[in-house]
Amino acid sequence: MILTRAGLRFLRRHPLQLLFAVIGVALGVAVVIGIDLANGSAARAFRLSAQTLSGQASHQIIGGPQGLEEETYARLRVAGGLRDIAPVVEGYVALPAVPGQTLRIFGIDPLAEGPFRSYTPRLAGGADVTRLLVEPGSALLLEGLAQRLDLALGETFLVESGGRSLRLTLAGTLSAPDELTARALDHLIVVDIATAQETLGQLGRLSRIDLILPEGVAGETRRAAIRALLPPATQIIPASTRGEVMAQMTRAFQLNLNALSLLALVVGMFLIYNTLAFSVLQRRPLLGILRTLGVGRAQIFRLILGEALLIGMAGTLLGLLLGVGLGQGLLRLVTRTINDLYFVLNVSQLDLSPWSLAKGVALGLGATLGAALVPAWEATRAAPRLALTRSTLESQQRRLAPWIALAGLVLAALGGLGLILPGRSLVLSFLALFAVILGYALAVPGLLLLLLRLLQAPLGLAGGLLGRMAARDLGAALSRSGVATAALVVAVAATIGVGLMIGSFRLTVAQWLESYLRADIYISTPSAGFEAGRAPLDPQLAEELARAPGVAFATRARHLLLDDPGGSTELFVVDIPPRAQPGYRFKSGDPQRIWREFDREAVVIVSEPFAYHRNLRVDDLLELRTDQGPIAFRILGIHSDYGSDQGRVTLSRAVFARYWHAEGVDALGLYLEAGQDADRLAETLRALAGDRQQLVIYSNRALREASLATFDRTFAITAVLRLLAVLVAFVGILNALMAMQIERSRDLAVLRANGLTPRQLWRLVSAETGLIGLCAGLLALPLGIVQALALIHVINRRSFGWTMQTVLAPDILGQALLLALGAALLAGLYPAWRMARTSPALALREE
Amino acid sequence: MPWLALFLILWLSACGPAPAEPETATSRRLSLAETLGAEEDAAYARALAPRPFVFPDDHGPHPAFKTEWWYFTGNLEDEAGRRFGYQLTFFRIALAPAPVERPSAWGATQIFMGHFALSDLDGRRFFAEERFSRAALSLAGAQAVPFRVWLEDWEASGPAGMFPLRLRAAGAEVALDLSLDAGKPLVLQGEAGLSRKSAAEGNASYYYSFTRLPTSGQVRIGAQSFTVRGVSWLDREWSTSALAPDQQGWDWFALQFDDGRELMFYQLRLKDGGRDAASKGILVEADGQSRLLRGEEVDLEVLEHWRSPRGGSYPSRWRLRIAEEDLELIVVPALADQELDVSIRYWEGAVIATGTRGGTPLRGRGYVELTGYAREEP
Repeated sequence: MILTRAGLRFLRRHPLQLLFAVIGVALGVAVVIGIDLANGSAARAFRLSAQTLSGQASHQIIGGPQGLEEETYARLRVAGGLRDIAPVVEGYVALPAVPGQTLRIFGIDPLAEGPFRSYTPRLAGGADVTRLLVEPGSALLLEGLAQRLDLALGETFLVESGGRSLRLTLAGTLSAPDELTARALDHLIVVDIATAQETLGQLGRLSRIDLILPEGVAGETRRAAIRALLPPATQIIPASTRGEVMAQMTRAFQLNLNALSLLALVVGMFLIYNTLAFSVLQRRPLLGILRTLGVGRAQIFRLILGEALLIGMAGTLLGLLLGVGLGQGLLRLVTRTINDLYFVLNVSQLDLSPWSLAKGVALGLGATLGAALVPAWEATRAAPRLALTRSTLESQQRRLAPWIALAGLVLAALGGLGLILPGRSLVLSFLALFAVILGYALAVPGLLLLLLRLLQAPLGLAGGLLGRMAARDLGAALSRSGVATAALVVAVAATIGVGLMIGSFRLTVAQWLESYLRADIYISTPSAGFEAGRAPLDPQLAEELARAPGVAFATRARHLLLDDPGGSTELFVVDIPPRAQPGYRFKSGDPQRIWREFDREAVVIVSEPFAYHRNLRVDDLLELRTDQGPIAFRILGIHSDYGSDQGRVTLSRAVFARYWHAEGVDALGLYLEAGQDADRLAETLRALAGDRQQLVIYSNRALREASLATFDRTFAITAVLRLLAVLVAFVGILNALMAMQIERSRDLAVLRANGLTPRQLWRLVSAETGLIGLCAGLLALPLGIVQALALIHVINRRSFGWTMQTVLAPDILGQALLLALGAALLAGLYPAWRMARTSPALALREE
Repeated sequence: MPWLALFLILWLSACGPAPAEPETATSRRLSLAETLGAEEDAAYARALAPRPFVFPDDHGPHPAFKTEWWYFTGNLEDEAGRRFGYQLTFFRIALAPAPVERPSAWGATQIFMGHFALSDLDGRRFFAEERFSRAALSLAGAQAVPFRVWLEDWEASGPAGMFPLRLRAAGAEVALDLSLDAGKPLVLQGEAGLSRKSAAEGNASYYYSFTRLPTSGQVRIGAQSFTVRGVSWLDREWSTSALAPDQQGWDWFALQFDDGRELMFYQLRLKDGGRDAASKGILVEADGQSRLLRGEEVDLEVLEHWRSPRGGSYPSRWRLRIAEEDLELIVVPALADQELDVSIRYWEGAVIATGTRGGTPLRGRGYVELTGYAREEP
């Protein structure tokens, strides 16, 4: 009872420290939860949508890059007598009325829906399908969506697909059997299959055929029978495959986010440790008295842990609230990045998964208790007499510091070794990176001592007595300055690492774009997402554009997506004229041989991420599903490409035409005659296209700019996380330094009493905090650079398969130093102000 | 012919009090019925007056009319005397009076519905299945020359003029593959093929029948195949009928007798328990001559009822008398439960007729359709 009261009184007397500790935990927990909720919501939304759309289907029949021929379906029904099959035509459309809104067109045959989906209209289910079938453009929306779009029954709305605008009519509303389904349907336009083909320009084609196969031997037999009726380009895959593939695509991305968010928690842990260690330190006399009064070690241990738990609970609770709010914001960023990089994903709301929240609570409380263990243990060591004074403690710390530093450096070295070792495991590399960070953090107090000793002389020269005093004070108060510095170092290093990584990446991409984009003007159809590939250009218009006056020659390209059980493969079918060939930078493969054989043989070149993900080398064979069945293509070269993190397979149009029957071109590269102005000609071409088809026409420069803008957008979330880490660090340094200065108020009061003016006191305190900031900044540099190297060469490579150059941008390093210094100086303001204001006598009377 | 009644029943119940809950089975069937028929649209063609029939063209579809069907029923027997009944029906339903021109090959304004039922009369089992498909992409359709009407792999096909006709259908458990020949020329029903369904103008259909089609082929139940022979009946009918509000249901009899005659009779039951004056039938002689039976000539008395496990009670034994022909028959189902539990539930099954004509014993087989008896169990 007395113990609890003593504890509470202490906390009450130091409300600011308490507050900062709580905020530290809260921020750490909030970042972890926010990221986890956003990630989880995106993943769940995706899975839910995939499941809802495939309904009861156990398998799907998929076709070549342009889907299936619709006759295949008719053949299965009429000649094959198959019953449990349903055709699907799907794709994405943009809504001009709501910029940025992409909806999925889901075309089904109401008469074949039978057992498949519970929400689609079907004749036997009583829906009035007449209008859907008979009136072109009839569409069904979820009631909520119709309301959001402000549509009444019978009203029309404009959609855009592949550069063409079409009108759909709201013919009815969908009813979802439950809340989950409703969420999955929230971005769906259900139409008859004929309307879907017409809207998406996929005449004659199906996206897939859903089917239900019985389990076991019967299913195998049926599957073989179906297989016999299918053309070679098609494949039967389990319905869950697509969802899994999509989840896999984004796994690395999400893991990276999770790891970054954990970093925030680690910094938060430092804060808690710091607060508690400080409180123990301050109460050593009290604890000693308690011990003489007969209070056992176990009781003291429990007291400190109890305090920690209190802070942890308050912080975690606050963190949960903050995290949910943060998650809302992050969800938008995560979704946008997924849309930019991977596939169209609409997430309407943050999913407050109890699992994520529980994880946040466990992490928050666990981190608090973990961080409290050492201070609590230390508290029990308060001898039942007052002899063990601060001075002995500090000197003990100083004796220990080199050993701890050594242990930390060993840990960091082990982590570094783990990073260098070859391997592909992303989780292991993150563990190794964390070992480096943790080890380095442990070494910080020792390194700090070293650094302060080095700085003592120059500071003495610059600041005289006060300067030397500042450096020595800090060294003497290592038990607090060390940990505070460690926290700041970790946070600042994180900003350096992430900053350098983004900068290197961006520069690499910019240089790649510069070399890769050779044509003067690029033309393509707008695409809402990659999942369904791009819509082709109007053939006649394409020819007119290619022959426009001022155009020397044009290259034609087609982007296609080949679905496979193992993942989808992006095919890039293109002419590569000699002028464009130098744009391809090969990581391996002989360029001369490549360009000699590229147009002639069954060969491809693959991008670096593709080769990495599939573990492919030059001269390996890559099997692709062609219209003639699977064909093995020889890999001639592996080239740098930052256009897709899944990688792509590039092959020549001549070779493609031999194995696939897919007409059409979706992108043009125009090479201009000498003296032509690309931007001016682009205007002319836009006028030429007019209303016939909406096109995206970029001059070389504009395309580069647009690409980099996309790049920046995808890294927005990383930048936000970086900012959050800085915020946590800032709170940490504020907390630690304030604690330190407040604790020193007696010393300072003595100095004041001895004639130190308030102005001098200001300078002393500022010098001390500034010194900590400077040291932290300096110590953060090596760790930051190591982190950058790890992110660039290990994490990024293992996540996405990219290699990139390392750019140690001085401005980022400088910014980090400034950040550390600024945060520290700012943190010194309040204590200095308080000290200066307090009359020395009052401060001295404290006891 | 018989299908019309289904629309009628549902139309009538639609005029009654609205169902309390929007998602009852009844309301589901209601809206289905609205899609399939019972829709006032002046743009559809109507059966207003007798017309000259032109064959083989009229064996093909008449898409300007709302509904049309090719309705095959028959009684079969294998060498060992095991008896079967079958029904294979192709319904054409127009969703719009005129085709809509559009780029997609899936675009369709006509859909087909199929019902396939097999009665294993000695095995006391009944199998029924329903299908829908749009008339597009060769999934379903109908044509006169060469004759073909099909819904996926269910098909009736033959030369111009239909016969010899091949019927093929397969369900989850049963299948049939039959060859049908014209035993007699077709007969025009009603008034030279115009069959009035009520006193209202245009409330009629064009209707002809092949009443005796010698049949042989295979029937399969599970893994077991049977080589069968027997006699089939084909009803052809097309219309755009608005239905009388006072009609309740429909009983349709198609009987083939051992003496070479056939009898068709339908009665339109009124809600007040009476019989609509439009009820009528036909009597076909062995030589193919036929005579119209007016409703009042036929006396039909229900002797027993059968309660459906799915709800509702059906007549299950009749005495049928035609005084002028000195004909008296007892008609009983060859199997009690031949109810098709499909989108709109009804009873259609093989029956046995025994009795006398002019004092001489008379036996026959046939099919009966009963609609408007199904009730949702509370």
